[in-house]
Amino acid sequence: MKRFAIRMLWSIGLVLAVIFLNFSLIHLAPGDPATVIAGESGAGDPAVIEQIRADYGLDRSFVAQLASYVVRVAQGDLGDSFFFNQSVVSLIWARLWPTILLVATALIFAIVVGVLVGIFTARRPESRLSHSATILALAGYSMPVFWTGLMLVILFASVFKVLPISGMRDVQFDGGLLASWVDIGEHLILPAFTLGFLFLAQYSRLARASMLEVLQSDFVRTARSKGLSERVVVYKHALRNAVIPVVTVAGLQFGTMLSGAILVETVFNWPGLGRLAFDAVLRRDAPVLLGVLLVSTLLVIVVNLLTDVVYRIIDPRIRVGSAAA
Amino acid sequence: MFFRNKAAVAGLFLLLGVILMTFLGPYVYDEDPKDIVARPLKGPGTEDVPGLGTDYLGRDVLAGVVNGGLTSLRVAAIAAALIVMIGVTIGAVSGFYGGVIDNALMRFTEVFQVLPALLFAMVVVALFGPSPWKVSIAIGLVLWPQLARLTRAEFLRLKNMEFVKAAQAIGSSDLRIIMRVILPNALPPLIVATTLVMGGAILLEAGLAFLGLGDANEVSWGLMIGQNRTNFITSWWTVTFPGLAIFVTVLSFSLIGDGLQDAFNPKLRGR
Amino acid sequence: MSQPVRPIAAGPRRRSRLLFTIIAVLSALALFATACGSDAADTATEVLSDTVTSDNTATSDEAAEPEATEPAAEDTDSDQAVDTGLNEEELEDLGSDDANVAAVDSGPVAGGTLVIGSTQIPRHLNGTVQSGLATAVPGTQLNASPLLFDENFNPQPYLAESWVVADDGLSVTLNLVEGAVFHDGMPITSEDVAFSVITARDNHPFKTMFAPVTDVATPDPQTAVINLSQSHPAILLAMSPGLLPIIPKHIFDDGQDMATHPRNTEDFVGSGPFKLVEYEAGTIIRMEKFDDFFIPERPYLDEIIIEINSDPTAIVLGLENGTTHVSTTMGSAANILRLQDNPDVVVTAEGHEAIGQVQWLEFNVADPILSDQAVRQAIAYAIDREFLADVIDQGTTFPATTGIVASSPFHNAASEAYDVDLDAARTLLADAGYADGDISLTIDYIPPQQAPYAEYVVQALEEIGITTELNVSPDFPTWAERVAKGEHQMTINNVWNWGDPVIGVHRTYLSSNRVGAIWTNNTGYENAEVDALLDKAAQEFDRDARIEIYGEFQDIVNEDVPIYFLTTPPFWQAYNPAVQNPSVGIWGLMSPMHEVWLAQQ
Repeated sequence: MKRFAIRMLWSIGLVLAVIFLNFSLIHLAPGDPATVIAGESGAGDPAVIEQIRADYGLDRSFVAQLASYVVRVAQGDLGDSFFFNQSVVSLIWARLWPTILLVATALIFAIVVGVLVGIFTARRPESRLSHSATILALAGYSMPVFWTGLMLVILFASVFKVLPISGMRDVQFDGGLLASWVDIGEHLILPAFTLGFLFLAQYSRLARASMLEVLQSDFVRTARSKGLSERVVVYKHALRNAVIPVVTVAGLQFGTMLSGAILVETVFNWPGLGRLAFDAVLRRDAPVLLGVLLVSTLLVIVVNLLTDVVYRIIDPRIRVGSAAA
Repeated sequence: MFFRNKAAVAGLFLLLGVILMTFLGPYVYDEDPKDIVARPLKGPGTEDVPGLGTDYLGRDVLAGVVNGGLTSLRVAAIAAALIVMIGVTIGAVSGFYGGVIDNALMRFTEVFQVLPALLFAMVVVALFGPSPWKVSIAIGLVLWPQLARLTRAEFLRLKNMEFVKAAQAIGSSDLRIIMRVILPNALPPLIVATTLVMGGAILLEAGLAFLGLGDANEVSWGLMIGQNRTNFITSWWTVTFPGLAIFVTVLSFSLIGDGLQDAFNPKLRGR
Repeated sequence: MSQPVRPIAAGPRRRSRLLFTIIAVLSALALFATACGSDAADTATEVLSDTVTSDNTATSDEAAEPEATEPAAEDTDSDQAVDTGLNEEELEDLGSDDANVAAVDSGPVAGGTLVIGSTQIPRHLNGTVQSGLATAVPGTQLNASPLLFDENFNPQPYLAESWVVADDGLSVTLNLVEGAVFHDGMPITSEDVAFSVITARDNHPFKTMFAPVTDVATPDPQTAVINLSQSHPAILLAMSPGLLPIIPKHIFDDGQDMATHPRNTEDFVGSGPFKLVEYEAGTIIRMEKFDDFFIPERPYLDEIIIEINSDPTAIVLGLENGTTHVSTTMGSAANILRLQDNPDVVVTAEGHEAIGQVQWLEFNVADPILSDQAVRQAIAYAIDREFLADVIDQGTTFPATTGIVASSPFHNAASEAYDVDLDAARTLLADAGYADGDISLTIDYIPPQQAPYAEYVVQALEEIGITTELNVSPDFPTWAERVAKGEHQMTINNVWNWGDPVIGVHRTYLSSNRVGAIWTNNTGYENAEVDALLDKAAQEFDRDARIEIYGEFQDIVNEDVPIYFLTTPPFWQAYNPAVQNPSVGIWGLMSPMHEVWLAQQ
């Protein structure tokens, strides 16, 4: 428990460090935020610019601005967008769950399929299929994910017109809650697959490696010699060993997945944080940028913590199992 | 052992092919990728149109592919060099000294590690400009933590070994021990990691160029895809070929890295 | 070099941990790698030559053009038909030859949902403080204005059932429709009109529209009298739906800054035929029929949805499969041509004539090299605008020879156009003392969609021995700031005429308008003769006299060539044949769709 508390404290410190880094970066950048805020209406009028500076506190020192930002963040206020007429929090909130939905689905897909493929190829490590799986795996994470996405769009827009290739919902949708979920699910298939495919390759190799490791271990040899059926051996014990590193790595890669999600969201017009971030970059909408960086970093930290916890829970069982060999 | 791995050898050949194309290609296929040579968006095989078709401006796609590698490789190489320099240094110091230094450096590493890579790189390039150097720096900033972690892990593992203790016993300086004793032994996983980092840097550069955050004065594969993206559904060749080029290049690095990894850790092959 | 050290064999756990670490790290690296190939549709989509679409730069609302201080802009009576210049036949030729425009026998049918696909993202929905298409398309459905305008630029009754311009031109009296109410049921009165006019005057980027307004009197709830400090014929056009939406005073008049008022999006209450049902910033705007709209039995449509899609390709696909019904943001020329070939989609260049967008290459005349008129003329001669229109834009734009669009009666087709002539260019440079390779310049452009033009210019100038480098701005504000501050040498730009030269043309050339804001006089051009001509034209009532004055103005400007004009993109609109009474009027989609209906198919 104490460990956990310490980790929490570290995490808060980490968040503060991230805020500092991002804030400094944006502050250091050339260009005048006041001009950005003014848009084109007041940009020529020095009085308007001065007013904006005063309103947004842009005339204060860097430290003062940073301090006031941190204080506001602690109160849950991430400021207002320079472009949209609303608070950053409301913008992020609207886009948050589509991204989480996308990433979670992709993760589950990648883990489940990855582990299955990994197990299969581990049992027949020298087969041609196994080698092909390896090559495919390598191909999977060598392909730029935006390219994969574009190819899928072409495929499903021109050839197999069975899945929607854009958006999260049918705009004219007019059904009940359940039907609504089905609609979202339909739209989710392609983007989640594209994102998951990237990592699937990776997880299958991880699972395979772990499986190989375990299948040769003393423990499994003992179990086999005791006459336990192959299936029990594989699916009860080796499986657990295969899944652990996959789940752990997946958790640690959450940040990478978020990066990939930016791409996938834009190719498939998925209304998530990734698209919001990119729009903000295009418009130098600093508060939104800071907000998205902060929220995504928070997500990564939380997931890391969770992964750690999960790993500790699952791991002792393995230790017990191996020691018994 | 590396050479027995067919995939790895294939990767080596691929990489050689890419390098040849990048450095010799422009002399063999002597077209200027920025010249407007024909009407825009004409597909491969159309009359009066060069081999792989033309892009949205009427430029030669093949020339673009042949010349685009140089930018991507150059940016990626510089980025990789930065990553290795920063990552290995921090990782080595952290792993070797341990304690407070280790703690502090790891916390610092964590700050960069939790930032989603592409997002942060996007912000840096958008704020400071897309010149090749700045793109390299941005990429370097987001990818170094993993290399630092790896180096640290290796150093942690190795620093208690006999030969290190022996070196300390004879009074070698810390720097000497780090550089001459431990680092060479830590090289195998680091080399593997570096090849993968190169692949990663190429993808990141392509992605940024695709976003419009690249130097438009240079030809680059990512830029080609980005510029032609609106037309890809009618003019697939403008997007497919540059994409293939990126894919093949990164794949070659992946295959090589994989092969090296196999060579250093035979157990993975599951004998 | 020592051998690689094998890990100490110590049981599966230790090995697997090591293995795990290595693999984890490597995988993470590799995955960083792949995931890093990220895309970002928005820029990417507009990277293409978006010259033909309705965005005045991808930045939609940001592309609002500020009206800096200008002398009292007097227009001739806006009753005059500003015909499109292209006659009906030519316009039809521009569109698709679909015979499939549904010949509908039955009359208008109520019901149905219209889906508009757009790449434009509005900042908010309040058009009194924000210009541009992105706000105006939803804004004109949600808000009514005093007047509508027909295809001949003649005002028609809307919220004002009649109006009177005083003989001395110093006031305009509006008589409002009886019984009109806002979406919350409160009556629309002259107080609201007064509030809206004053808000626009004080906040709208187009300062000259209402600058001469001194106050608005409200003798009774149905009558508003706009008092002017001078005769200002342009004020009628300024009461178009997109330029003067009537907003509810009882909601907005609470002392908060109008530009950032929360009610600009939240629970928006308007005066128009449709009311806001759902608004998700940057994603979707859903509007439903307002049952108590002041025109009986209107609107026909039940619902209008604006679906914001960062990728024009998806919009094109939506049009093709019928899920999207209307769009003006199809992305590239290739997409437009593709849609033209599709019998299920109607494509037309008709509509949006009041906008008049011109793409041009402007010079910073303060720059030492470019201050030489000979150099500017040489550059002008080196560029082939026909190539831009015919090849790069694949025929979807038209060459522009002056700063006033060809469809305006004030356009002077005889002004020096500098048709491509490489020899003349080279001679000019040589005479000015420049040898091949002596001149090095940089060129900016609105990112990302003007990249093709800029890249073409680089190529074209190379032919005459000028080396040009692209200055890539990662985003619109960066470009805007750079040009506003005069830090550029040359830039491609996209500026709108806005119907009458007084509103959209004067601002670029008046020496008094060098105010360091984007879309003012950013070239630094100063010509006293031009200043005088423009002042005169602004106050001249006689149409023919005006034409002559503007004619001379264009001659002088083209001679001086602070700007070299490139192309005029029409606003291509694609719509489903089921759409009846599509919005192809002078304001295009920036007009209320209360007369639009969907034929059953």
